[in-house]
Amino acid sequence: MSFVDLIFLICGAIAIFSGWRVFCTDSMVRASFFLLISFIAVGVIMLLLGAVYLGVALFFMMAVEMMVMALFMVMFMMNPAGLNPMKMVHQDKFAALAGVVAFFALSAVAVFGDFPDQPRPSDLDPVVTLGKELLGDSMLVFESAGVTLLATMIGVVAMSSHRGRYGDANAGSRPPGLEPGGMPAFSGDQEGSSGGHHHHHH
Amino acid sequence: MTASLTNALLVMAILAIGVYLVAIINRAWANALGHSGAGNPFTAPFYSAASLWVAPANTTEAPDAMAWHLAPVLYLTLAAMGLALVPWSQNLVPVDLTTGIVLWGALEPLATVVIFLHGWSANAHLSMLGAYRYVSLGLSYLLVSMFVLIGVALPAESLQFSAVVESQAGLWNVIRQPLGLPLFLLVGLGISFWGPLNFADSNDLAGGTSSESSGRARLVWQAGRAVMLVAFSAIGATAFLGGWLGPVLPGFVWMILKTMVVLAMALLLGQLIPRFSPDRFLTIAWVLLLPLAFVDLVWAGLEALP
Repeated sequence: MSFVDLIFLICGAIAIFSGWRVFCTDSMVRASFFLLISFIAVGVIMLLLGAVYLGVALFFMMAVEMMVMALFMVMFMMNPAGLNPMKMVHQDKFAALAGVVAFFALSAVAVFGDFPDQPRPSDLDPVVTLGKELLGDSMLVFESAGVTLLATMIGVVAMSSHRGRYGDANAGSRPPGLEPGGMPAFSGDQEGSSGGHHHHHH
Repeated sequence: MTASLTNALLVMAILAIGVYLVAIINRAWANALGHSGAGNPFTAPFYSAASLWVAPANTTEAPDAMAWHLAPVLYLTLAAMGLALVPWSQNLVPVDLTTGIVLWGALEPLATVVIFLHGWSANAHLSMLGAYRYVSLGLSYLLVSMFVLIGVALPAESLQFSAVVESQAGLWNVIRQPLGLPLFLLVGLGISFWGPLNFADSNDLAGGTSSESSGRARLVWQAGRAVMLVAFSAIGATAFLGGWLGPVLPGFVWMILKTMVVLAMALLLGQLIPRFSPDRFLTIAWVLLLPLAFVDLVWAGLEALP
């Protein structure tokens, strides 16, 4: 067994074990980071396969993604900080069955599939070739579109932010009425002394 | 095999010297600026390290034991991986990956994950506040780092750090893309949660993510911060100050000198600038730093046009 084989077996075991732990843990934060460990192990396997860009890109994409996911899941759930135990699975019997079927189907492809034996030419630069293969002549268009899209997203967040230069962006606005033209469920009485009736004009 | 052993020893040596160097320069700046309590720059680091070494390890009620024990080690490991990517001279690159810049870009968010886990796993109020605050602010400047690094990859037409150095033979990136180094330095202070960007372990949270940590685990954590700052300085010197390029002296010496200049600048900023108020920094990061990073990228792109 070569060194590469050994690393592959270790990383494969880590990927499967931590992937399984995702469903056993009782915390959103732990689940996110077990998934991250699993992805990192897969990234190392991709490095072993010579996919030097895709493997490393998987590291940073999954690190950011799992961190954001953990943060937002905790932010939007009724479990402060994610340390309280909670049940992490639903439809577990169906999901387990689907998982086992998918595992064996993919394994069958790996074991019985007829893969072409084309060793990589030694002078091939995998990063450059991958970029040309994925984007080709549209490289500049795609890159510009990517930056523009990000700038747009940030602009939208900035414009829809509640904090403005002259106070809250929603100051003076009122929620929609319960019936057309009617009073809203919350009329703003609790906030100040002015009362809801002063705002009620068309 | 001997080559990789030499490289590993090189990284370990730089790691050990780097921690001491950070402690010395930081205390020297503090003394020069008249900040009290720094002590003798050369001996005081040994006293504080020794006191942490003999202090008993602390534990909290129901921590996440694995993350609690692993976080300091993982943070130091990520910093060491960063050091390994640095081309110290033309022939002395511990790991000359063709996607070195991308791997460095992966180390930053992974460090963010580890810092979060360090604070989260203690199962204590102040450390958890530090963890969540760090992540919610850290995500806002990670993007800045990516754009700045894409900027240096553009003229090199490569994601390899040694190619980035060679692309600066005519003109260093610090002049070609003047916004790059200041932005990168700020990100460095953020990732090693140092000085003005110390949102993880600051005094207002009684030590934040390490408020429950003591003994050797805390020593490793502090060493990791120092090594991360050294790695940032070395990558900054590589990406913006022409790395090993320079007249007369050998490349290795130039690289060390440039790294020390960047490191001294970062530590001076850490001593001079007070910590930003977190909500104000969020505005600064999105409204000022990120658009500046866009400008840097467009600048680099226009400059790289043939």
